[in-house]
Amino acid sequence: MQSYLSLANGIPLYLIVAVVLLFVAGFCVLFMVKSYRAGIKLGMEKKVLVRAITSSASFTVIPSISILLGVIALSGSLGIPVSWLRLSVIGNLQYEATVASIAAEGMGTKLDSSVLTMDNLVTIMLVMTIGIIWGCLCSILFLKKYSNKLKLKQGTKKEDGKKGFSSFAMVAMFIGLCATFVGSYIAQAIVSSTWVPVFTVVVAALSMALFEYLAKNKGIAFFETFSLAGSMLIAMTAAVLISL
Amino acid sequence: MKKSEEFSFDSYEESIHITGKIGLSIGLVLLIGAPFLIAKVTGSHIEWNSFWGALAKVVIIYIPSCIVEFLIYVPMLGPGACYLSFITGNITNLKLPCAFTAREIAKSEAGTPEDEIITTLSVATSSLVTMLVIFVGVLCLIPLTPILESPVLKPAFDNLLPALFGALAMQYFRKNVKLAAFPLTFMVVLCVINPAMIHQTSTLLIANGAIAIGLGYLMYKKNWL
Repeated sequence: MQSYLSLANGIPLYLIVAVVLLFVAGFCVLFMVKSYRAGIKLGMEKKVLVRAITSSASFTVIPSISILLGVIALSGSLGIPVSWLRLSVIGNLQYEATVASIAAEGMGTKLDSSVLTMDNLVTIMLVMTIGIIWGCLCSILFLKKYSNKLKLKQGTKKEDGKKGFSSFAMVAMFIGLCATFVGSYIAQAIVSSTWVPVFTVVVAALSMALFEYLAKNKGIAFFETFSLAGSMLIAMTAAVLISL
Repeated sequence: MKKSEEFSFDSYEESIHITGKIGLSIGLVLLIGAPFLIAKVTGSHIEWNSFWGALAKVVIIYIPSCIVEFLIYVPMLGPGACYLSFITGNITNLKLPCAFTAREIAKSEAGTPEDEIITTLSVATSSLVTMLVIFVGVLCLIPLTPILESPVLKPAFDNLLPALFGALAMQYFRKNVKLAAFPLTFMVVLCVINPAMIHQTSTLLIANGAIAIGLGYLMYKKNWL
């Protein structure tokens, strides 16, 4: 009889996962081609579109390595194919790890390959999937209506020619998001003297300022395109150095 | 920018909605079908009693948070990027910053057709790169694992989010110091008074986002922005 991990890492599972991931990748390619073509037809410059692609690709590499670490962490108990699938679609590491653990506890077991069975694995996988599909369901059912409603609001022009609040609202929301994370690192330093996150924030911010200065004053587009990825890389390296 | 005469952005948007709905529906069927197929192939069974118990615990937390995320992310990203983000995940820590950076570089304004194109391109690229990195990582899992899990590199990955939000904060706070000051101070004070809040960022970002929007509206009305 095959062991749990040899079944959980078996070829059939890789094939099933590959089919799902290929479909999702195809979906992304389709949207990419559609939006690129629409951008050209809309009169947008090719170099603007290409820079949006290159900056997004360069920025994504480092956070993706962190997601890969999540795959490695979960693969010890759930096997590689299931971890690979779960961390490539919907959710995020925090969600997947929490829900896998809730599901395992619900079955009177734990996330440990020495005690898990294939029955446990398929049950955990189904809980992880159903638990997070609601954003997708909302998109299928309501996204069109909701975005049309938003478009109507954005289309309402002010008589004095002032820009509508909606564009400020998006920036404000994003500032709230950044303030939440940065504020939590400052508080962490104050409360528990954990200084590395704040130090990383400062190094990242200074690096970003430097990249922006170089892009604006030296006129080199490269610095703007890779500013976020470059700042993160410098700050993460600084975190390693200060922790040595 | 010169618009092509035959191009209708409304038709493009309509096709994005149709493709998005069909794509997400097929994606969901495949995702939900996968555990059943694995069960069939390996001769295992879903433990339904445990499934319902665990699902009840999970949906109590995640249905409200998924709905709130839907309401917040659609205006921030636009429909094309949302269809992709909701099926590929990692929105707060990856897709949203990625789309905002692309928007900043392209100098497009939220809600415009150009912005819709840029955010969709950005999220599609980001999703594909993540898949590619994980694919290569899985192929090289044995040689890569000791490197990625080495204690020397651990602080780098532990501080990924501080690095990300530090850089983004510089970009956004610098242009909106007045707007950023209150939500930042609020968060610091709240977490110092109640340290348990330090690890509740996913919940607090909704509250803090609402505070920032409210404050932004006041400043907008007073012409302080």
